[in-house]
Formats: sequence, C-alpha cells, structure tokens
Amino acid sequence: MPAILNLGISKTASIAIAIIVIVIIIGIAAYYATQQPAAPTTPTSPSPTTSPSPTPTKPKITEIKIGLIEPLTGTHAVFGQEAKQAAELIIDIINNELGGIKNLGGAKLKLVVADAGETPESAKLAAEKLIAEEHPPIILGAYISRLTAAVAEVTEREKVILIMDGLVDSLTEQGWKYVFRAAPKASAHGKSAVEFVMEMAKKKGLEIKTAVVMNEDSIFGHYVAQGAILKLKEYGVKILDHIEYPYDIADATPLVSKLKELNPDIVISVPYFHDAVLIAKTIKAMGFHPMFIAGAGACGYTDPESIKAAGEAVEWYTNTYSYNPARPTEWNKKIVEEFKKRYGKLPTEAAGIVFYSLMVVKEALEKAAEMYPDDPLNPDHLREAFLALDLNDNNSIAAQLYPTGRIKFAPNGDNLYAGTAIIQVINGEPHVVWPDPEPGIEPVFPRPDWKGGG
Amino acid sequence: MISVEPMLLVQNIVNGVFMGLIYSLVALGLALIFGVMDIINFAHGDFVMIGAYLTFLLATTLLVDPTLTAFITMPLFFVIGVAVYKGIIERVLGAEPLIQIAVTVGLLMVLRNLALMIFKAEPRGVPFTVFGFPINVGPITIAASRLVAGIVSLVALFLVHMLLTRTKWGIAMRATADDREVAELMGINVKKVYAVTFGLGISLTALAAALIMTFSRADPYLGLLYGLLSWVIVAMGGLGGVIGVLASGLIIGVIEAIGISVVSAGARELFIYLTFFLILWFRPRGLFGRR
Repeated sequence: MPAILNLGISKTASIAIAIIVIVIIIGIAAYYATQQPAAPTTPTSPSPTTSPSPTPTKPKITEIKIGLIEPLTGTHAVFGQEAKQAAELIIDIINNELGGIKNLGGAKLKLVVADAGETPESAKLAAEKLIAEEHPPIILGAYISRLTAAVAEVTEREKVILIMDGLVDSLTEQGWKYVFRAAPKASAHGKSAVEFVMEMAKKKGLEIKTAVVMNEDSIFGHYVAQGAILKLKEYGVKILDHIEYPYDIADATPLVSKLKELNPDIVISVPYFHDAVLIAKTIKAMGFHPMFIAGAGACGYTDPESIKAAGEAVEWYTNTYSYNPARPTEWNKKIVEEFKKRYGKLPTEAAGIVFYSLMVVKEALEKAAEMYPDDPLNPDHLREAFLALDLNDNNSIAAQLYPTGRIKFAPNGDNLYAGTAIIQVINGEPHVVWPDPEPGIEPVFPRPDWKGGG
Repeated sequence: MISVEPMLLVQNIVNGVFMGLIYSLVALGLALIFGVMDIINFAHGDFVMIGAYLTFLLATTLLVDPTLTAFITMPLFFVIGVAVYKGIIERVLGAEPLIQIAVTVGLLMVLRNLALMIFKAEPRGVPFTVFGFPINVGPITIAASRLVAGIVSLVALFLVHMLLTRTKWGIAMRATADDREVAELMGINVKKVYAVTFGLGISLTALAAALIMTFSRADPYLGLLYGLLSWVIVAMGGLGGVIGVLASGLIIGVIEAIGISVVSAGARELFIYLTFFLILWFRPRGLFGRR
C-alpha cells in the first residue's frame, strides 16, 4: 500500500503537469480555431452585401445560393438526410419546371449544404463555415431545435435569413430579426390536437367537459402541452391535471392509474417514442377507456415503428404532423409523387417542412425582386419581402403544400396560420384524417371502446 | 395536489409491488455476481437491454408470447455469460477495482453501441402478448402482464434463494464469496464457481428482459435505466442475499409508483435516490448488511 501511495503522489504530480500542458495546447489550438473562421468572415461578410448593393443595377443575378444546414450525421441523421433529399427535389423543380426566379430573369437556385452534426457547437461551426465560404443570403435549418438556435445565432449576426424547421416556440421569441418559420411551432401542434378533438366531438354531438394533458418533460413536449392547455381553456374544458414525466420512465402504470382515477373525457398526450409504446400498452393493459386519446407533437403512437412496436395498443390513437402528404392539392400530389419516384418512399415530416419552406423562399425571392428590383438580396429587403407574403392555395405552390393552406408571417417570423394535420391509426395503418382526410377515410371518434354513455 | 385519494394510494402500492418484483429480478443477477465475485458488473443493465432486443426478435419471428422466449434466451445468455467471464472477466479477477470497472464499463459501451448500430435509436416492442388485459379486484386494477411478471420474478427469486442455501453449488458459491482462498483450499474449484455464477447472473437478465417486454419496449438506453436501478437495489439490500434484493426492490417499486402518481412524475428519480440515501443514512451497510 505505501509503495502505491508514494507512487501515487509522483503520479498525480506528473498527471497534473500533463493536464496543464494539454490544457495549454488545447487553449492555443482553440484560439486559432476560433480565429481562423472569424478572420475570413470579417473581410468576406460585407462582400455578399457589397456585391449586390453598391452596384445595384449592373451585375445581373443569375444564381442565388440557398444554404441548407441539417443534421446529416449522428442520431438525427435520418431527419437531416430526408430534408436534404427534399431540398434537392424542390430546387430541381424550381429551376427546371418553374424556370427559376421569374422576377429575377429566371435566376437559378443553387443548394449549398452543411452538416449540423449532433451538437449546438457543430451546428454553429457549420453555419460559420457555410456563410464564410458560400455567402448564401438565405439558409434553411436545422430541424432539431437546439441546433437551430445555434445556427440562428450566427445567421442573425451575419444578417442571413434563416428559415427554421425547428419547432420549439422559443426560437421565435428571441427578438431575432432575420428568422422565419412556416412550419407549425410546438404549441401549434398542441392547439391543433385540441381543435381536432373538439371539432369531432361537436360533429358527433358529444360534450367534452374534462381533460388531462400529459407530456414528456423536454422543452418541446412542454411547449406542445402548453399549446393544448391554452386551447382547452379557450373551449372551457376543465383540465383535471397536467402531468409531466421523463420520457425514459420504466413503468407507466402509476401514470395510467392516475388517469383512471381522474377519469377525464379526453387525454391529450405528448410523448416521445419510447414512452408512447409504454403508455399505450399500459393503457390497454389497465383497461382505461376514455372518450378519446389524442397525441400531439409528431412523435410516437402513429409512426410506423410505434405501430409495429405497440400493435393493437395504439389503434385509434392520433398525432399531429407538420405536413400532410395526403393533402389533395394539385402541387402537393405532384411533389409527393415526384418524391416517391425519386427516392422510393413517402415523404415524412422532415421532408414536408422543407417542401413548403423552400417554396416560400421562392415566393419571397419573387416578391423581393418585385419590391426592390435594385437590391433584392439585401437582408432587410428580403425580410420585408417575407413579411409582405400572403400565400394561399390559389396564389402559391407553397400554401398548397401546407396543412392549413395559408402562410402569412408575423413580425416575429412565425406563420399566423400555423396548423398541423392529424394522423390516426385505423386498422393498424396510419391515415391522415384531418383537416383534409385521405380519400375514403373517416376519423374514428369517439374511441369505439369508450365506456361512457354517448 | 397533496390531497391523496386513498384508492389511488392503494392502487399504486399494488403497482409498486409488482414493479418492485421485476426490479428485484433485474437486480438479482447483479447481486449474485457482486456477492460471489466481488465484481461490479457495470454492463448488467445493458445485458437486460440486449435481452429485450433478443426477446423482440424471437417473439416477432417465431410469433410466440414474449414470456416464452425466456426458454431460449436464458440458456443462451448463460452461455454468453460464461463466455464473457472466460474472455474478459477472468483476466481481471485479481486486478485493481479501477481496471475491473473499466472493463465492465467497456463492455457496457460495446453492448450499447452495438444496439445503437443495429437497431438505431428506435424503440422496438412485441406488439402482442396473451397477458394484455386488466384484472379487476374490486376497485383495484392489475395488468395481467404485471401479475405474471411478478409471479415469475418471485418464483425465480425463490429458486435462486434455494440454490444458494440448500444445494452444494450454492454452498460453494457462498463459501467462495466469504473467503476465496479458504474456499480454494477446501477443494472448491473457484474458477468454475465464478463462471457458473456469472453465467447464471447474466441468464437472469434474459428472464427479466422477457418479462419486461410484455409491457414495455426495447431501446438502446434501456440498460442505463435498469443498470442504475440494479445498483441502487443491490447497495440498499446490503448484499443480504435474495431477501435483501427482494426487500429493496419492493421499496424502490412502491416509492417510485407513489412518487410518480401522487407527487410528480418528473421527480421519479429524486424519490428513488432520496430513499436510497435515507436508508444508507440509518443503515450504512444496507438493509441486510453483514460483515
């Protein structure tokens, strides 16, 4: 023992020295690393604005770079990769079928892509690099909200318009000037879930008096639940309880026991994926039969993997989605078809948000060219152009791809007409049931196993 | 908020007891390995996770109830356990605790990332079980799957208890646990005892996984959940053999159920660890600590 102790002291000393040396090296490296990208950005960042702005009429814009920063690697790569596929498809359609940006003499869009990685740091770095090297006036990204926030910090500083496909409400509550979000934010998901249920109840002549709202306790889940709670209160529904739980719970029986005890007419549930399987199975196993259980927040219950994992337990569950692949508008049908043809699968939410977001970009560029022919790509001009848009099914492709069919931006960048589609599991298959149901599909409401007197 | 419905309380004690039985079963393998071999198997929870995936694969390909897959996975996990012991654990038996910890943590990382690689982060579940219905006893509801899982757990705990106390093998195990060198001098083949103990400990995780899959799902991070709980249960039980594991498993189960349902679901782990600290405060060697 003493020998080890002796050794230990000299060991700790040498370890301490080693740590100090490493820290110094990392410090120097970090200094250079942060200086490196900063150095080119300072001289170059004025260049994107100087190239179009001081010599306004002369250089004809023939190509506009559109940035895409998505998690292309790591845990969220599935979403990022699909977003990239969707972006490539839409850019091709804009350039080839729609003849580019007409008001800019048919200028073409060029997609420049960067990998946001898994962490806010990597997302920030990706944004720095993309802006420094490519100078896109508009960037789309980054699906995961914390990555989106990191990208927004950079785009805001560099005055680049960021079209966000991250859904957490707070992204548009930072006072950021150059951000826009066509996609329905988290609370809009909660709101839509409640609107769907209330509309269905009214249609069937049922009265909903009480509800329980439960969500996994991430920021996203929290915002979705808040949206639902506000809407329920608006309808005068009594909220018996609001339960927040960690998504990795081992056992949902205590939660479900509480639901049974409270016995609400409806449950609005905002799960992640793992807990959704657990909760649905436990609700079935414990024999809890409310009028309706509506999911919100686009995770769990109705996605193919959850249906595979939970089987019958998720029958008649619904969830909210930022995109409706079944919306029967001319352009939506066409783009879903083209996506299927090119990639051999149905577009999910990650692709859908990119569909309409990029089409909104096209509309904004047309508008900017119309409003500011001398300097359409100036960030402030672009911002005004986005704010001036008022898109619906008749005047734009973008709105035809959007669940509610309307896009108009508020000054904070959010869509005033944000809303989701509702997907329901019927006979073990997910079907869009609201607001534009799939042909031949009727929403199942109330739950057929509901024991309450209709 | 603090107004507690008495029925809800009773219901949750029942919920907690059944979940506690499953927790005890999960922790039993860890207790066995730690008790006999003095090795903390940090990968314990991740064996449960791998077991859960295996249960999923077997149940969905053979189309049998998840509980039945234990007949295949338990012997398989015994073999895997022995192999892991021979391949990895035996080499670090006399080594410093830090090395042993590093080895089992390494094993944990391998298993977890293997699952992440093969199954991604998506949850997998067996979409059927014959026990997916509720049993109502007056105002109390028990999910049939829990009842079955609880009974099977109890039987497994009892059998391991009998093995340890009534058989030659068990006596050899306990002798080895008490004093390895003396046991060796008495003619006990310690390496063999260790191999069997490790195999048995791992095969118990397969049984637990099969039962868990009747109501839950497999995901790559399941190991973290059950691993942490197992350590708490073993530490709290104070290495008091099967009884200690059972007692602390039940305490954790009931505290968790009441905490989630009556106070706040978000603070679930708070209740578990506060109870843990409180018990160690009064009984530093655990509920049934000896030595």
